[in-house]
Amino acid sequence: MSEFKLTTVEEFEAATARLLETGAKVGADAWQFRVKNQTPHCKFGEQGICCRICSMGPCRITPKAPRGICGCDAHGIAGRNFLRFTAGGSATHSDHGREICHTLHTVSPDGNYKVKDPEKLIRIAQEWGVETEGKDIYDLAHEMSELALLEYGKPFGIQRWLARAPKHTQELWHAAGIEPRAIDREVSTAMHMTHMGCSSKPEALVRQALRCGLSDGWGGSMCGTEFSDVMFGTPKPIDTEANLGVMVEENVNIIVHGHDPSLSEMICEYADDPELIAYAKEMGAKGITVSGVCCTSNEVAMRRGVPMAGNFLQQENVVLTGACEAIVVDVQCIFPALGPLSKCFHTKFITTSEIAQMPDSDFIKFSAETAGENAKAIVKLACENFKNRKPELVHIPQLKQKATVGYSTEAIKKQLDTVTNSFVDKTGTLMPLVDCVKSGVLRGAVAMVGCNNPRVRADSAHIGLMKKLIENDVILVLSGCSAQAAARAGLMDKEAKNLCGAGLKRVCELADIPPVLHMGSCVDISRMMVLASDLAMDYGCNISELPLVGCAPEWMSEKAVSIGNYVVATGIDTYLGVEPQISGSSQMEDLLYGGVEDWVEASYTVEKDIDKLGDLMIERIEEKRTALGI
Amino acid sequence: MLLFDIVFNGNDSMYEEAVKACDEAIAKFGEDKAVGFPETAYSLPCYYAETGEKISNLKELKEALAYIKTLMTRERRLDSGFKSGVATALSAEVIEVLKYIDGAQPYELPYEGHFNDAKIRELGVPLVTNDIPGVAVIIGKAPSSQAAVDLVKSYQSQGIFVAMVGECIKQIKEMDYKTGFGVRVVPMGEDISSVVHIVSLALRAALIFGNVKPGDKEGLQKYTFERINAFVNAFQPLDEKTVACGAGAIYYGFPVVTNDMEYTPSVPKSLIKFEDVTQFNPISLEARGIKIKITNIDIPVAFATAFEGEIIRRGDMQVEFDGSRVDCFELVQTREASEVEDHKIEVIGPDIDSFEVGSKHSIGYVVEVAGKNMQSDFEPVFERKFHSYINCIEGVMHTGQRDMIRVRISKDAFAAGFRAKDIGEVLYAKIKNDFDAVVDKCQVKIYTDAEECTKLRHELAIPSFDKRDDRLSTLTDESVDVYYSCILCQAFSPSHVCVVTPERLGLCGAVSWLDAKATNELDPAGPCQVITKEKPIDENLGAYEDVNEAVRKFSQGALEQVTLYSIMQDPMTSCGCFECICGIEPFSNGVIIANREYAGMTPLGMTFPELASMTGGGVQTPGFMGHGKHFISSKKFMKAEGGIERIVWMPKELKETVAERLNETAKELYGIDNFTDMIGDETIAEDPETLVAFLTEKGHPALGLEPMM
Repeated sequence: MSEFKLTTVEEFEAATARLLETGAKVGADAWQFRVKNQTPHCKFGEQGICCRICSMGPCRITPKAPRGICGCDAHGIAGRNFLRFTAGGSATHSDHGREICHTLHTVSPDGNYKVKDPEKLIRIAQEWGVETEGKDIYDLAHEMSELALLEYGKPFGIQRWLARAPKHTQELWHAAGIEPRAIDREVSTAMHMTHMGCSSKPEALVRQALRCGLSDGWGGSMCGTEFSDVMFGTPKPIDTEANLGVMVEENVNIIVHGHDPSLSEMICEYADDPELIAYAKEMGAKGITVSGVCCTSNEVAMRRGVPMAGNFLQQENVVLTGACEAIVVDVQCIFPALGPLSKCFHTKFITTSEIAQMPDSDFIKFSAETAGENAKAIVKLACENFKNRKPELVHIPQLKQKATVGYSTEAIKKQLDTVTNSFVDKTGTLMPLVDCVKSGVLRGAVAMVGCNNPRVRADSAHIGLMKKLIENDVILVLSGCSAQAAARAGLMDKEAKNLCGAGLKRVCELADIPPVLHMGSCVDISRMMVLASDLAMDYGCNISELPLVGCAPEWMSEKAVSIGNYVVATGIDTYLGVEPQISGSSQMEDLLYGGVEDWVEASYTVEKDIDKLGDLMIERIEEKRTALGI
Repeated sequence: MLLFDIVFNGNDSMYEEAVKACDEAIAKFGEDKAVGFPETAYSLPCYYAETGEKISNLKELKEALAYIKTLMTRERRLDSGFKSGVATALSAEVIEVLKYIDGAQPYELPYEGHFNDAKIRELGVPLVTNDIPGVAVIIGKAPSSQAAVDLVKSYQSQGIFVAMVGECIKQIKEMDYKTGFGVRVVPMGEDISSVVHIVSLALRAALIFGNVKPGDKEGLQKYTFERINAFVNAFQPLDEKTVACGAGAIYYGFPVVTNDMEYTPSVPKSLIKFEDVTQFNPISLEARGIKIKITNIDIPVAFATAFEGEIIRRGDMQVEFDGSRVDCFELVQTREASEVEDHKIEVIGPDIDSFEVGSKHSIGYVVEVAGKNMQSDFEPVFERKFHSYINCIEGVMHTGQRDMIRVRISKDAFAAGFRAKDIGEVLYAKIKNDFDAVVDKCQVKIYTDAEECTKLRHELAIPSFDKRDDRLSTLTDESVDVYYSCILCQAFSPSHVCVVTPERLGLCGAVSWLDAKATNELDPAGPCQVITKEKPIDENLGAYEDVNEAVRKFSQGALEQVTLYSIMQDPMTSCGCFECICGIEPFSNGVIIANREYAGMTPLGMTFPELASMTGGGVQTPGFMGHGKHFISSKKFMKAEGGIERIVWMPKELKETVAERLNETAKELYGIDNFTDMIGDETIAEDPETLVAFLTEKGHPALGLEPMM
């Protein structure tokens, strides 16, 4: 038996350096070089005090010029920028969710998409007060899809999903005036409020930022997660592997990249098709390997055990291996750089969504109605491209780790059932976790999420913090690129229990879990909201009282800000390793780093020293324990 | 109070008591006074297992306390909680060992206190075979005496070994409940510190069977966590010391179930709270993952391995069948399927209720089996199980085998309604259950008619036994084509492999070549696998390439090679369950053999436990080897070094047991008459000089042999 060992960030970097050598041979560009070209960044932008909202400007705030032409000060400008940033993220997640709802509308027993988890559909329908008795499951799916789509534009009322939160949380939202109404409306309101000549009061802007975030996490994202589960199956623990070493040199390698599982699920389906495997062999390959990058990877890993090639800052690396026949993308977080890069190799860069169209790509429009044909065409194209490989450029770094993924909230409860005693405990609850926390066996939990950002040494913050937290008996739930960092390092191998404190180690052994739990893609942070809510209700306390914090140490996207806002608004203190672009306004800082606590019982903390960031989280967790008397 | 704080406080109290006791002992006896538990080679077993350091006197004990203090970290983390739990156990061990100082006997029946090594080795086989599926530790005062009895009985009837600490002992004594090592209900002591003796049992099991290196904390914890199915039932009110001990138990993997609903929080699968103690049994079994193999037998008394060691005294006896006085026998016969009616049980002759209380009678029982895969070679294998089957009946005692059996039925069993046909029910159920792969149909005939018994004994049983003996005498290592591996013990001793040959049974004494053959037949992928012997390397040593390959495979690479007939070169390993151990005695060029039951000193200056501690755990120790009693008279016994003529010393009792067959072998091999008369024992010598003088006087052949090393 080989000894379990984590892969270090240094090893990641050595592998990348080797790939960049290949890149140099073919004159490829890479983010590492572009970062240099872009540094130092514009200070006004970094501080959030450049206003480009009307064409009187741009206006930039300095001590000598404390107001823009319209008279807006730094606080108003930073606040507006922050809200627009949020709206961008919220719109993005929610539109992803909307696509899923539309796909749900196309399900049929013999169609491209089916209902794989009818029980979950029925459960949601009952939650929403929809009659399910005697109804055909597909009719129900169509009905639910329409209801869900109405959540995006309903003229009156608030989001249906809010009812999943503890009563106290719902009351806080109501009192703060931040219960999200129609999903699209919150984005529109945000855009409206930030138009020239509308809001410039930080408090109002931040309130809307929270509401717009909530319309994502407790609206659009939740639609995305829940109905993806209905169509593609609710994730349950499954073994997979992570890092570039999952690509197989002899096979046709197809990389799926982006976010929407509708595309990647189909690609995976057809890559398993014997007819296409035979075709790949005809083309001189031994088979077809699909692996993922970014959140699409999380989606298919969670449901199918498809291996994870890498996260956000690895996307160029998969092409640099010289062994990637096609990189197939849908939406979000896709570098436009992939177009020119793919031209340096034989790789086909295939865009599929009208949302994300890029130069130097082959555009194959993917739609729910023709998904099967589209996917088949894409896989075929990749197979045909195998012969165009340049063998002298092929190098796949042989780094990979085992990972057990697939911990949806439902799966976590099921796993916890295994440590209950049938004579003593109820099943289907989070009580075992509550008991571990109450007794002190676990100190608390951290939800670690978010991207990579070249401002932080790639993955070092994720991995460093995770190691520190698990040593301190803090369990982690992860999503997005954070989850992939963990998987690539080996932290999702169950053997990682040996890196934990005695308490978490024992929990891992008894519950048969890795110490960091993969909960999915960035949209799936909605799962974490449900988990936190259920945990509070099982404990009998408020979410904000739980020894639980959120953390995004390497975040970069607008989506991340939207997420941060709904996590904080849900009552979970959130720790950031990268500063939001508001530092030009003391009022905005005061609000986000403290003031919002009065509304939602949680706020942000920023600390760029990653080790300190870890200490702060542990400190906060211990404070919360003391307050609970545990 | 927070759980960790309770643990820390309990640990502090136990530690302070230990320090006080140690200081008092030093004041009284001085630092150089020896300390230790009786009949163990493991010094202070828990301390030794945890640290690798042996303690022999009070000075060292005092130093040990300083080490224990270093474990008592006080961070509110489970790591500190666990360490403090271990520190509590080690402190308790200090307290307990001081009770034994100066030859004191702190525990008298019914209290057991410290278990000697022999008892732990004795538990080895039943633990691995799951005959003892678990160990329950019951602490404190049950809600009522009846509740205590019910709980103990529930475990006992499942074969679970029950250790008791504190008030519950008085409670079951009040109810006249029978206790003792033999019935596997063992009162440890009144003080909570006596619980350490059961920890000591678990940790010694790791050292003896698991080959865990003393001081390998991680390996020790892993072994107990994965392999020792112990758990704790602690009655309310809990206190700090008990909870601190509980932390130690949980550290080693033993969950605690309590009815104290207030004192501590719950911890999943580790600290479970439930008010109703009548449910402790199933709760505990589920928490520790113990599965009870259910053999539902329709008899009016309990049936469990826990009753196997039960002794029925004359006064408690309703009736007795005694093969030494009248004609008795037990027999398995293979029949055609058409001749057997499944589950037919016939009693031929008067039933027990027509016998006078305390009277002696004849009995004969014939179990007739049929099955497509049945072979007559399996008959003695089944038959040898009868002893255990009948003994497991509550209130029934069985000794001997074949036509030299004795069966006693207690008054209690009789009063509960036990009759002759119930013996048949047990034999039927067990044979069908244990040998379902070869037995399709089974019927039992029980003869209590004296004339029938006499007739059948002479006409049916004895001829069958003779036939089997003839067959057995032709079964030699040379006459068979294959040997068998036995890895039954690997649940406990992960790298040990026995190679079972016709002339060398398993070292536990429980698996003969025929047993292994039958086991293989019953479960071809099971613990006994065929080993070919087609590639000999050295037939005198008993070295075969095929055997080495098998040993390598079944030990997962831990063992490279073994010889079958040498104790010097690659001797066969031991799990730790061995009946006997032999070791070289350099002054006489011979070997001495000590059996597990022998508590005294050997001429090597070591007791059985000390000798045993040098081998076991699946490691090879040239010059020492564990083996079964029957192997002593085998022609293959250390054949490579010259065979049985090397035997120079055995405990008297063992010598008497093996004398007849050993003498026969000596006569055949060397033409020596009454060889055992030349062999020393403890009444002759316990030191090498006296022994050599005796051997010289007797002209023992070993003296003239080449030195072994």
